[in-house]
Amino acid sequence: MAKILTYFLQNQARILTSTWEHFYLFAVSTFLSVVIGIFTGIFVTGEGRERIGRILLTITGAAQAVPSMAVVALVFIFVGIGFAPAVIALVIYSLVPIIFNTTSGLLSISPKLIEAAKGTGLTNLQILWRIKLPIAVPVIMAGIRSAATINIGTATVAAVIGGGGLGDLIYTGLKLQRTEIIIIGTFLAAFIAILVDILIAQAEKVITPKGLKISR
Amino acid sequence: MLIELKNITKKFDKQTAVKDLNMKIEKGSITMFIGPSGCGKTTTLKMINRLIEPTSGDILIHGKSVVDMEAVKLRRSIGYVIQEIGLFPHFSVYENIAVVPRLLNWEEKRIKERVDELLHLVTLDPSYAQKYPMQLSGGEQQRVGLARALAADPEILLMDEPFGAIDPINRLKLHDSFLEIQEEIKKTIIFVTHDINEAIKLGDKIAIMNKGTLVQYDETDEILHNPKNEFVENLLGRDRSLKALSLEKTKGFVTHEGYVITGPNDDQGSLREKMKKTRSEQAFILDENGRLLGRKILVTKKTGKQEMIQDSNPVVVDRNNNLVEALSKMLESGEHQLPVVSGRGKFMGVINLSHIFAEVTAAEAKNTIKGA
Repeated sequence: MAKILTYFLQNQARILTSTWEHFYLFAVSTFLSVVIGIFTGIFVTGEGRERIGRILLTITGAAQAVPSMAVVALVFIFVGIGFAPAVIALVIYSLVPIIFNTTSGLLSISPKLIEAAKGTGLTNLQILWRIKLPIAVPVIMAGIRSAATINIGTATVAAVIGGGGLGDLIYTGLKLQRTEIIIIGTFLAAFIAILVDILIAQAEKVITPKGLKISR
Repeated sequence: MLIELKNITKKFDKQTAVKDLNMKIEKGSITMFIGPSGCGKTTTLKMINRLIEPTSGDILIHGKSVVDMEAVKLRRSIGYVIQEIGLFPHFSVYENIAVVPRLLNWEEKRIKERVDELLHLVTLDPSYAQKYPMQLSGGEQQRVGLARALAADPEILLMDEPFGAIDPINRLKLHDSFLEIQEEIKKTIIFVTHDINEAIKLGDKIAIMNKGTLVQYDETDEILHNPKNEFVENLLGRDRSLKALSLEKTKGFVTHEGYVITGPNDDQGSLREKMKKTRSEQAFILDENGRLLGRKILVTKKTGKQEMIQDSNPVVVDRNNNLVEALSKMLESGEHQLPVVSGRGKFMGVINLSHIFAEVTAAEAKNTIKGA
């Protein structure tokens, strides 16, 4: 315990930089995969493309079983090392739950409901923004939440291809066989993960339409 | 002529759903489309608001072809009601009803007034505006669905099996209030159903379809008395004379004799006098707005003494109930005279068992002559 405190006090600057790098890596990759993932989900569930959506649902369902290290290794082979390859690896990996949830959330809306919206005189874009997306919000948010948590964990692995962040700290600790550095690194990564999870859970509560939360 | 279908044909791949359909629909009437599943009735309905485009032929509204109109604009000018699932679950009742007015950029104040007006029309309390569809019963959801369709005051209303998912008892109640509402709004309604009793009860005209063609399209009682062929006869069932009876609404048989009207606080003694004088067995208690609160019955005991009994929950007949429904209420309650009320509980008069029997005898005679 004393060792941890000493290291922490003596290396505050480095720890802070690593934490910031880690958060930055997480934030950039999660943002990109949320944007790409939701757009992909919307696209493949558009009118007349529902079949593509169903196929993609099967693929992403299976892809969730691929280990994160494998993705990182593949990106290393094809793209190399550095911050950008790390981001690419994280985006690819975390896209899977977002596409899966967005697609399944949008596909699960009753066709009768869409027809009612159409028959009432809403345009396709209005149906998407006012009906489909709000109803799918809880499922989409659940996907973002698991993607974000996965990203924080995987970001430590991405340090092996030069992503920086808390992974660096942990690997240093492993190389030097200094437990206190490993503990600080893992503790901080876990702390960010919990914090992000709580924040997204709150956001989910706020943006889920009220009518979907009430029961009789 | 408000709506005209001209040589409408619809093919899905190689299957023909609707074949060379021609019909004219009058303004302010309810037209019921009925037939076995796959007969093309829903397809026909959806071609009117262009949810489905016809393969060939033309649909005219006020003489204008719908194909020339912008689909979204056309749909905003036609009310559309489907089974209860059609309400948007994340919108409150208010927001559901406000959908089309908002699309048409109405001012919020006007929308609020319209929502209040419509909730009143479909007999829902104003407090329902803030509720969500999941908090409503099936019947209530359907009333909201109707209010939403009527929001921008469209001339035409398309209804695709709107009461299909509702249990028989509540369906009867919805029928009565639906007819009550139509009396007020007089819309041109096209209604798809698979229930022949619903078609007979609600329809001014019935269009019977089979395998994509129109088998018979006529006034409801014309269809009942002169079914065109065996297919129509089978659809109507064996109990045609009973069904013909169900065409007659209670309101046509209301009488204003043989009972007394009283206020909630009127004097007992003079009421008894009045009842004896008019030989009435029942006195109906009305509030100042004419709503039925209950009734008083004069009962003669074994000792010969007469006694006044108050009944605060009497069996009533809705004025839009048909004679079969009125008759079954009489048989169940053992009364030969029942009060008739409007949808809002207003007392209209009474209906007597003897009058219904007279109608049965007349109908029997009519059918016997035709049969012979």
